[in-house]
Formats: sequence, structure tokens, C-alpha cells
Amino acid sequence: MQKLADFKLPQFFNYPPYFTLQPVRDTREKQIQLWKELILDYCKSQKIFLIGVEEDFPLFSNSAIDRSLSHEARETFLSAIVGEGRAEWLDKGHRKCLILWHRIQDWADIVLQFVRDNGLEDSVMTVEEIRSGTESLGTELQGIDRTILMRALKLLENKGKLALFKGTSADDEGVKFSV
Amino acid sequence: MRRRPGIGGLQKAAAARDQYRLLGENVAKLRTDMMKEQLSTFRSQLEEFARKHKNDIRKNPAFRAQFHEMCANIGVDPLASNKGFWAELLGIGDFYYELGVQIIEVCMLTRSHNGGLISLQELCNHLRQRRKKDREAVTEDDCLRAISKLKVLGSGFEVITIGKKKLVRSVPTELNKDHNQILELAQGQGFVIVEEVQRRLSWTSGRVIDALETLLEEGLAMIDNGHKDGKCRYWFPCVSSVYSSIGSDT
Repeated sequence: MQKLADFKLPQFFNYPPYFTLQPVRDTREKQIQLWKELILDYCKSQKIFLIGVEEDFPLFSNSAIDRSLSHEARETFLSAIVGEGRAEWLDKGHRKCLILWHRIQDWADIVLQFVRDNGLEDSVMTVEEIRSGTESLGTELQGIDRTILMRALKLLENKGKLALFKGTSADDEGVKFSV
Repeated sequence: MRRRPGIGGLQKAAAARDQYRLLGENVAKLRTDMMKEQLSTFRSQLEEFARKHKNDIRKNPAFRAQFHEMCANIGVDPLASNKGFWAELLGIGDFYYELGVQIIEVCMLTRSHNGGLISLQELCNHLRQRRKKDREAVTEDDCLRAISKLKVLGSGFEVITIGKKKLVRSVPTELNKDHNQILELAQGQGFVIVEEVQRRLSWTSGRVIDALETLLEEGLAMIDNGHKDGKCRYWFPCVSSVYSSIGSDT
């Protein structure tokens, strides 16, 4: 079985017609479903947060069978994920897609759990520390996309679980938890 | 010979009839007893056979096939009913009813991929994977027997032969001769190209496209426009060796 890094590829990935958008509705729906799951699973396992439609994303082509997805197919599959609330287009031209294998709400819960696990209920951290500090090593928050993290923090701020403030340097923000 | 007159003669004739009847009854009784004895011997032999070979029948596909042959020779269908004493003794019914349920499961599970038509070979591969823990080998012969028993459900399970391959159909799609011929062609590479079908079967392009369109609509075919030569390929998951060979080593 073919593998990408340590990711086990599903069988359909080696079957050429799955790289052509199917004309018959039922077949296409099934095809989209398979691709949706594959893309989400792959992004989750490889911690990929952003897919560029024009870029060489490893899933978009399979050299073993010499097939690649057309632009239309890529956009169709990603749009289907967006439609499910598991991704968002970052631009109107549908070129960049933010992948949310955890929804923002779930990311917010993960942040809360992280705060409790580390006894940070009343502490102050920088946003950068949450992404790459020693506490987050080995957790799902390690290396999280900044856009997604900020969205999760904003959500928590609205719920009164924390306060965001500007740090000393202009480009870093701080977080005061009050869980 | 002179006919004997009088009441004496009549009595004698009646006595003779009684004698014959008695004799006849005795013979018949003897025969029944013998039959009964034979049957009980047969039954006890069968019980012994069952005790001895129950595991072989369940585990060894070659033995199972021979057992079926033996049953066919003496005109017995061990699968006719699960309540019959054959089934009770041998548990052979359970084996096939279980297999039947698993066949239905595999067909349902793969239906979205293959449109409800699966090659017998791939079906067996799936079944073997499922039954790994049982250590009970399943042959194509077993599958065919199990499927023939599924027919009583009226569920539309059917085995069709296309070319050299046997396919199991779990949807009520009616395939005509044209469709079958295309499926047979596709067995070579797993796909066909319109021109190829035209050439090999000497059909008009309209006839080819018509048949392919139907197969697409039924979910039995998928199109592939990705090849370098720019020719559209019609793939058939139900006969595709590519898919099943990859599937078998997972």
C-alpha cells in the first residue's frame, strides 16, 4: 500500500476515475465524500492548516497512476468541505482554503483544556507561547495556525474566559486567562 | 380340472386367501423392519460421521465440497431447511446462513463503489478478510451455495457469468446483452475506450455510447479523463483487477 510520509492512503486513491469529476450525481456525491474524508484526515495527521488550490498539494496528484485533479475538481472537493463547516475560503477567488479538522469551537475547548492541564487558569501568556511554548509541546496546539488560534481565542474572549491585549512588541499579543 | 362345488370349496378358498394375506403381511413387516433397521443404521452412521467430521466440514473447503457432492448423489439437500435433521446434526446450515449474511454485508458496503455488482473473486477476498479470526476458509463454491440460498429472500441476489468471470449482482439492474459484452471487454484492463468497443464488437458509436451511458447512470461505470492520450476511459469497479488487487493486500 502506498504511503505519503506516514499516512496510509485509501484504495480509491489508486483508482484513476476518482481523479475525474464524475458526471452522474450519485457517483459524484460518493466521490466527493471520499475525497472530503481523505483531505481532512490527511491534514489532521500532517498538521496542515492551509491548502492552496494552485499549489502542489500531495493529495492532488498520484504519480503511481499518472493522474492529477483538475482545478475544478480541487475546488469542488474543498468547497464541499467548506459547506460542511470544516474549512473556509480565505479569498473570494477560492485560491486558499483554511482547513478546520477541528471546528473553531473545538479548538477553543482544546485551549481551555490546555489551560486547565497546565494550571494556567489565572496566568498570562503570549499567543506565540501557546503555539510554540514548552507547555504546548506534544499537544494539538503545538504549531497551530495563527489565524485559527486567534479565532479560537476571540471566541473565548467573547465568552469571558480570557482577555486579549497588545504586548510590548507590536506583532505579539498577550492573553490573560480567567477560566 | 373340475370345479369343486359346495360350501366346503368356498371355505377352502377363503382359508387359502387368509393364508396368503398372512404371509404377505409377514413379508411386508419383515421388509419394514429391515428398512427401519437400515434407516437407524444410516442415522447412527451419519451421526458418527457428523461427530467425527463436523469440524472438517466447517473448516476444510475441499471436504465441504465433497460432502455436498455426496449429498447430491443420494438426493439430499442439507441446506433445504435449518430445522431438518441434517442441519441439526451437522450444523452445516448455520455455516451457509452466516456466510449469506456476510455476503449481504459486503455487497451493501461496497455498493456505493461498484454500483451493486461485484466479482465473485473480490467478494471472496472481502469475506476472507472478515472471517480471518474464524480460521475458516471460504471458497467460491461456498459463496455460490450461500447466494443460492439468499434467493428465497427475494432480495435480488444473483450470480451472472460474464466472459470467464462470475459476478454477484445485489441490485435489480437489468443488464442486456450489450452491457454484458462491454463488461466482458473491460475484464482485460478494467476499463474500455469507445473506439476500442466499436472496433472489437463492430458496433456503431451510437450503440456503444448508449450502452456506456446506461452503465454510467446505473453507477456501474466511472469515467476517467486523466490519461495523457486524452481518450476518455470508462472504468468498471466490478471487474477491475486494479482495485481488487490493491484491496487484497491491506
